Amino acid sequence: MPKRTLAVYTATGCPACENGILDTHYQVSSLTPWVDVVFWPHLLGGEWEDLEGVDRIDLCIFAGALAGEADREAAARLREKSEVMIACGACAAFGGLPGLINLRPESTGKAAETGDLEGCPPLPAVTRPVAGLPGACTVDYVIPGCPPPQNLLWAAIQATLCGGEAPARISFAASRLPDSLASAIAAGVLPNKGSVFGGEKGVCASCSRRKEEKKFTSFHRPYELNPDSGRCLLEQGLICQGIATREGCGGACTAVGAGCRGCFGKAENVFDAGAKMVSAISSTFDATDSRTAEGLAGQFLDPAGTFYRYTLPEQCVLMSAGTKE
Amino acid sequence: MMTTTILEPLRWTASPARVAVCTNGNGTGAYYQVIAPRNAERLCVGRPVEEVPRILTILSPAHHLVSALTLDRLFNVEPPPPAVHMREALVRTQFFKHHIRILYLLLSSSENPFRETGRVRRPGRTELLPLHVLEEIKHHEALAQEAETILGGRADHPVSAIAGGVGRFLKEPHYDRLSEIAGRCLEFSVSTAKLLNETLFGNSKQANRLFDFTLPSIPSMASSSDGGTVVLRGPDGKEIERFAPADLFDKVGLEREPWTYQPFAYVKSKGWRSVFAGAPESFFSVGPLARINAGEALPTPLAEEERQRTAADLGAGPYTTLGAAYRALTIELIGAAEGMTDLCRREQLTGPSIRVIPTEMGRTATAALEAPEGLIAHWYEVDDRGIVQNIQVLDGAAGNNALRCLLVRQAVETTGAVGMNVKDVKRRIEEILLPF
Repeated sequence: MPKRTLAVYTATGCPACENGILDTHYQVSSLTPWVDVVFWPHLLGGEWEDLEGVDRIDLCIFAGALAGEADREAAARLREKSEVMIACGACAAFGGLPGLINLRPESTGKAAETGDLEGCPPLPAVTRPVAGLPGACTVDYVIPGCPPPQNLLWAAIQATLCGGEAPARISFAASRLPDSLASAIAAGVLPNKGSVFGGEKGVCASCSRRKEEKKFTSFHRPYELNPDSGRCLLEQGLICQGIATREGCGGACTAVGAGCRGCFGKAENVFDAGAKMVSAISSTFDATDSRTAEGLAGQFLDPAGTFYRYTLPEQCVLMSAGTKE
Repeated sequence: MMTTTILEPLRWTASPARVAVCTNGNGTGAYYQVIAPRNAERLCVGRPVEEVPRILTILSPAHHLVSALTLDRLFNVEPPPPAVHMREALVRTQFFKHHIRILYLLLSSSENPFRETGRVRRPGRTELLPLHVLEEIKHHEALAQEAETILGGRADHPVSAIAGGVGRFLKEPHYDRLSEIAGRCLEFSVSTAKLLNETLFGNSKQANRLFDFTLPSIPSMASSSDGGTVVLRGPDGKEIERFAPADLFDKVGLEREPWTYQPFAYVKSKGWRSVFAGAPESFFSVGPLARINAGEALPTPLAEEERQRTAADLGAGPYTTLGAAYRALTIELIGAAEGMTDLCRREQLTGPSIRVIPTEMGRTATAALEAPEGLIAHWYEVDDRGIVQNIQVLDGAAGNNALRCLLVRQAVETTGAVGMNVKDVKRRIEEILLPF
């Protein structure tokens, strides 16, 4: 099989996704027999002009949100050359944390409000609203998470680059992947376009905490109580979005007593994560009349910033910035 | 008429960045530009304050911990010793991983680490280090990452620290595993320092490349060794000012220039002036070299031994060369692994309690922390419901932004003087910026 070409790029965000690729338990260098890394500026240097000498990129892993012209231009350049484009991490997939700025659109993020640019180089403009990669171009696959777990990263890389020939198969990741995706990888063919390298159900499906179908009478802030170990956080009155969020992380946050904040995006059968959470919380309220329910609802602060912490630009039905998955 | 040459994208920067070299009738000036704003502070306004430790990890993993410290101050709680040790062990592990990664990037900088080693070699090229060293570095980085996951819940974006402590006790298998990882990291850090001293720092061609570059002469800022105060020192190493971490944002301001999205940290008492206005005393640097240049004995024996060895090789500090910045990383690498070894013991991480539940909430709080990348600090102002109204953040990128701009300008001037081509200039700039 001829070698495939790989490009990796991060727009606005942080280096955690790229570090995740680099850190795939030091197996990333074993990709060498299958892959030529033709563009990875964070690690290898190189310049945009280098891309002009590349006929085709078989796989581009794009991380980071689109917050400015420079990000959008990078996305367009890479999309033009790439056969397969993966949105890697919550920022690229859904807008991620940088997308929270859309709740405060007056925050332009301009360098200096009244700066004299005479003799100084101009900056690429900021664009609002912040968007995920689907807001600017077609995305073939998504690896969610902030950052994505390394087993899923590794599964995606092997699925798209190694044609079923990679030495280390992905059994350790496949258990959390939908059947169709795992089967495609095992068969050495590309998964269906649009596939998400994560589970289908909610995080609750793989969370180790037990649910007792108990209702709660008041919300608690995480600093207010020491949650019972082993019991569902939501049933203890702590906001946890596991029920609305795609699984695949194995409940990493809930395992240390921190509620899920939805970095994997909405689960397969969820239309809107915020609406799902409102519904889930409402049904867990111990309220028999509207006044009690209203009182409980009033205790909950910042629903938009919580329920769409990582997904505001691409998955909030009311504020979606662009192309849908 | 102005002509501009753009060098982009730069390697190894946390945010997309480039260098713009502008030439007009008055001469040539180089600008280090961060070209995408992260607006981390603005993401936090309107959020419940307890969510900030999870949001600001976008800046670096250590921001999770300084944010938790700020919450401790806001809620006026002192975490119990096991929680303090768990947080401290996490910081030490972050130091190890951060520093070993920078050394990996330096050592692999002139080669593609994905090349088919053993099959494709550049004619005439001799490897500086045995090829397996890079693989060993990645392996130990993975080990540190595993320790981070145990201690922080997740590695790059930890979630375990909360106001008053940490979110969970460790589990039984964790104690032995942490201890094992710490021991292996310590052994590896000592052998890596020895190897680097013999090959990289002792190799005249490579050493000249690093030690011939003199850093701009600006003050430095670092916490005292006990963490109780923050000290501003002049380029000569003499103390200019010492103050409590709680006063940091009274002393340090953040300002912006129209040609970069990255704010500049500056010394308020000196006033804000453009970074190129010829007032370097208004700025400061943070990070490993700033800490080593404090000239204080280190609390761990092997790191102190390495510091003394550096002093024997380079003379007494303060050190002002690029090579010294890389040696500071190796000293701190050993210190971090020693810290991990000391803290990752069962007796340090166990106790009857791992958190204190707050009973009160203030309106403002400040905390500072020595992170791998340098001194970082947070200040929060909240309303009576604990919703963030205002926030200030000093991160490593802002702390060193002036230094990085000066470094870039100096690098362009020195490389331009010897007629280096554009690609080599870019590579040289990346190598110079890497330890900062």
